[in-house]
Amino acid sequence: MNDDQLDEFLADAARDYNAPSDVPRDAMWARIAEARKQRTVAAPKRAARIWLWTSAGIAAALLIGTGIGIGRRMERTSPAGSSVVASRDANGRRDTTAPAAARRDVAVAPRESSVSAVREATREAAGPDRTLAYQLVVLQHLAGTEAMITSFRASARNGETDAHVSKWARELLGMTRLLEASSAADDPVMKRLLEDMELVIAQIVQYTNRGTNDPEELDLIEQSIKKRGVITKLRSTVPAEAGLAGIRG
Amino acid sequence: MVLNRPGNGSTCCIVTDSKRLNDRQLVSRCLGGDPAAERALYDTHVERIYRLMHRMAGDADLAADFTQDTFIRAFDRLDQYRGESSLATWLHTIGVSVALNGMRKVKRLRGRIESVDGVEGSPNLVVGPTGFTGDLRARLHAAIDALSEKLRPVFVMHDIEGYTHEEIAGTLSIPVGTSKARLFDARARLRLALAAFAGDHIA
Repeated sequence: MNDDQLDEFLADAARDYNAPSDVPRDAMWARIAEARKQRTVAAPKRAARIWLWTSAGIAAALLIGTGIGIGRRMERTSPAGSSVVASRDANGRRDTTAPAAARRDVAVAPRESSVSAVREATREAAGPDRTLAYQLVVLQHLAGTEAMITSFRASARNGETDAHVSKWARELLGMTRLLEASSAADDPVMKRLLEDMELVIAQIVQYTNRGTNDPEELDLIEQSIKKRGVITKLRSTVPAEAGLAGIRG
Repeated sequence: MVLNRPGNGSTCCIVTDSKRLNDRQLVSRCLGGDPAAERALYDTHVERIYRLMHRMAGDADLAADFTQDTFIRAFDRLDQYRGESSLATWLHTIGVSVALNGMRKVKRLRGRIESVDGVEGSPNLVVGPTGFTGDLRARLHAAIDALSEKLRPVFVMHDIEGYTHEEIAGTLSIPVGTSKARLFDARARLRLALAAFAGDHIA
């Protein structure tokens, strides 16, 4: 067999490679139509879900507004200089009786530095009254996100996709986006953290929505968490007492 | 080895401006909810897509699944079709992506089953006609199976289904030169795979 004969043979033999059978044209079209019909039925549900999340966003905004209102009222009713703040004494114990003026003298722990920066940024942007509301929302949100990511990693490693985590992640994603658009994101450090969080939470939402437990996707999420140091940043930002110290401060 | 021949002659290889205009009209009718246009789009492209899916998957059920998935995705994303490439190229891009992802999952699943069953990986030799040419044919098919994810689609599309390098480049989002280089590489590997069996004069 010379080269030409061989090429001819190969051309002929390759033609048989995975040779297609008749095209099941109508059967496939029926399945495509059925799948698309189901999606069309699911679409209003999706719209309802979007409406639900929009409502949740509005509710969250109202919560922030209420917090601001409460903060303003408290500010007006409290005599100047007598506001109670959280600080730490020399032994590191919490002291909630120190006056506001003493706050300047209290050394800020490194893990609270970003929170302080957010406080400062929100204070500058919106006045002192909103500080309390933003701290409450931001710190609770950061603590919740850390808990969700930890919970997700634990369940995903075992090849499980927890519906509760999925719902939780969706809620956190909406809230993260709201905070990104708020004064909380005036601080560049916090802004970057919120952006990193948004990316990771969005990946988790997609992963849990699909429910395929694809190890490659899980690996990508892990890489995002590690590359962006999300957990480390969250832990260094959220006070040890799950945000309570920051809330009171 | 030059096997450049049209696949099944179901669609023309050269995309003209008028064809692209028709594509846009068809897409716009589909987006307007015209069921006849949707079916027309499907009928125009299904045969070629299915053939390619079958060549890639080697299994009728998988090929049907991949084809369905391709069209479901295409209809979902039809509003994203900008008309920069032909509709056929756009559909093939979705199809090849679906097939490659699907085959990765199938391979993983088969790997797991084999490891559970304790079956060691064996050469994927196809049972076919016996004798020298039968064995050579089986070896060739196994060698095509063994081509990498980059080389196999190019070889299958060009040498078996008769796509042009321009079509392959558009579908795989690679330059035409890369398509040619991959084909050259694929053919060289196939020759090499058969050399030991058919004799040194092949290499």
